Amino acid sequence: MIDFLSYPVSYLVLGAVAIFLKPKFANTIGMLSIISSMLCLLIVSDSQILNYKIMSFNNVFYQISDLSFLFCIVFLIIGLFGKIFSFYRENSNEKGYVLLYIASALGVVLSGDFLTLYVFWEIMAITSTFVIWSTRNQLSLNSGNRYIILHLIGGLILLIGLIGLYGQTYDLTIREISLNTWYSWFILIGLLLNAGAPPFSQWIPDAYPEGSYSSSVFLSAYTTKTSVYVLIVTFAGNTILIYIGIYMILYGIVYALLENDIRRILSYSIVNQVGFMIVGIGIGTELAINGTSAHAFSHIIYKGLLLMSAGSVLYVTGKRKCTDVGGLYKTMPITAACGIIGAFAISAFPFTSGFISKSMIVESSYIEGLEIIWYFLLIGSAGVFLHAGIKFPWFVFFHRDKKLKATDPPIFMIIPMVSLSFICIIVGIFPNLLYALLPYSVDYVPYTGNHIVSQLHLLLFSGLAFFMALKYLERTLTITLDIDYLYRRNYALLRLMLSRIVSYFLSLREIFRYTKIDKKLYLIEHTLLNQSSISIMLSIITVVIILVFLLNV
Amino acid sequence: MKTRKNIIYSLFIIISFTPYLYLFYDFKKVKFSVDNLVGFYPIYGFFACVGLIIFAKLLGLLLKKDEDFYD
Repeated sequence: MIDFLSYPVSYLVLGAVAIFLKPKFANTIGMLSIISSMLCLLIVSDSQILNYKIMSFNNVFYQISDLSFLFCIVFLIIGLFGKIFSFYRENSNEKGYVLLYIASALGVVLSGDFLTLYVFWEIMAITSTFVIWSTRNQLSLNSGNRYIILHLIGGLILLIGLIGLYGQTYDLTIREISLNTWYSWFILIGLLLNAGAPPFSQWIPDAYPEGSYSSSVFLSAYTTKTSVYVLIVTFAGNTILIYIGIYMILYGIVYALLENDIRRILSYSIVNQVGFMIVGIGIGTELAINGTSAHAFSHIIYKGLLLMSAGSVLYVTGKRKCTDVGGLYKTMPITAACGIIGAFAISAFPFTSGFISKSMIVESSYIEGLEIIWYFLLIGSAGVFLHAGIKFPWFVFFHRDKKLKATDPPIFMIIPMVSLSFICIIVGIFPNLLYALLPYSVDYVPYTGNHIVSQLHLLLFSGLAFFMALKYLERTLTITLDIDYLYRRNYALLRLMLSRIVSYFLSLREIFRYTKIDKKLYLIEHTLLNQSSISIMLSIITVVIILVFLLNV
Repeated sequence: MKTRKNIIYSLFIIISFTPYLYLFYDFKKVKFSVDNLVGFYPIYGFFACVGLIIFAKLLGLLLKKDEDFYD
């Protein structure tokens, strides 16, 4: 019982259960459970270990280090402010799912062995899907389907890797894994899929904007950052991650420039920011790991802030596209101010939280002498300002005034936005507050003349480039194709395969004169190959593999 | 489009002060050959952005589709 009380995850699970039982008090219960979980984390901070032997495995549920403490505390901070922000959301089920989602993310970060991690990892995929589905419209249903299929496949790949790891070493404690065995590649791919790595970066902008105005704040924070955490612990210092990160940085910028949906622009910039973190993990020095953890912290805060201001615009006006809004700074001044602070923080202006964290990653590449990587990181820094730093506030709060009737959102949506803006600025002015939480000791000074001058030069001139090219950046009512074309366009890939099969069967038909094959193929296509049955099949496969695995051992 | 012109003008005014920022820049602390050059960061930042925008436009020609493409 004492064990249970000293485990921060348990409070969130209890809170979720309470919300499902008493939906009337969803807000109070949600906030109370997050606060108690936070207190529990702060009080029981010494590395007490919850060990349980389940089916001959030693499951370590609670193992805390400086790194996991940092991630847990920022998860709970954004959870708390997100909860306040979703005060007016009427769907109480969503609030329960969100608590479970936070709980599973904490569970991943706190777990000390790969089996516990895997279980929480899968719970996280499922609960986040329910959060997406809670928007309750056709779009969120479809994108939730695609989301869970991709994540179950990713989980399956991770599981195969973990089975290999156990089969070879009989040791599942979380530790650094070197990339010289087949299973380590499976583990890496499984983890990277959750981080939004290529070629499947597309799931982030596909799924997150389909959450409700409040739930996309939560969605943006947990899945990718738990993956970043696990990558820091297991694969720090692998050069391949640098190239993957660079690709993600550029991908995020280019696709965000083409995008029209406000929250989808911000989702592309999640890919971009996580790219910076992946580069930091790939560099792998103490400074780079510190920078990655600090950047995860500040990214969660300012991305939450940006999505809150986008969510407020959605809540007040009901519009989600850049082409539908504009000139809102007159009617929504507080939202606009908070959104601009978030945009400055993401583009790492001096005296904001982005500056003190991102410059650590850039500086670590500089110190290591990775000249080409450093050039790319500079392009990335300039591009962040281009796509998120100016484009988001410009097209939403300025540009052409659409004369929309709007006011600032109600008080419980203002409070978290203002508080998060303060966190962004205070962390930016007093960086040692954040540096004290980092896993390694920091002897890095962000505010040197060279850092500030170079960053200001870079940003001002990228701003100039934006306004000079504004004519070419006009938003259009379009979407941009991506890898998802293969499984979205009427299941194009499946159809291609199916048409091969059909032609094969038709040739058979010519031989056998079997008449009703068309109808049967129709049945196959519409029952066996639709998304829900594929996801069910995948879960069955997962369960079977776990059973086989457990029975053999 | 008046605002856009105003912003560009005010940006030009701000930018005309940026050379003075080099008073705070320590050229002895640099490591690579390029960050020794005066004006490397502004020029690089500007052309990186122009390059990104052009690349995005070209990619858009290929990949942009109507919104109801998947419906």
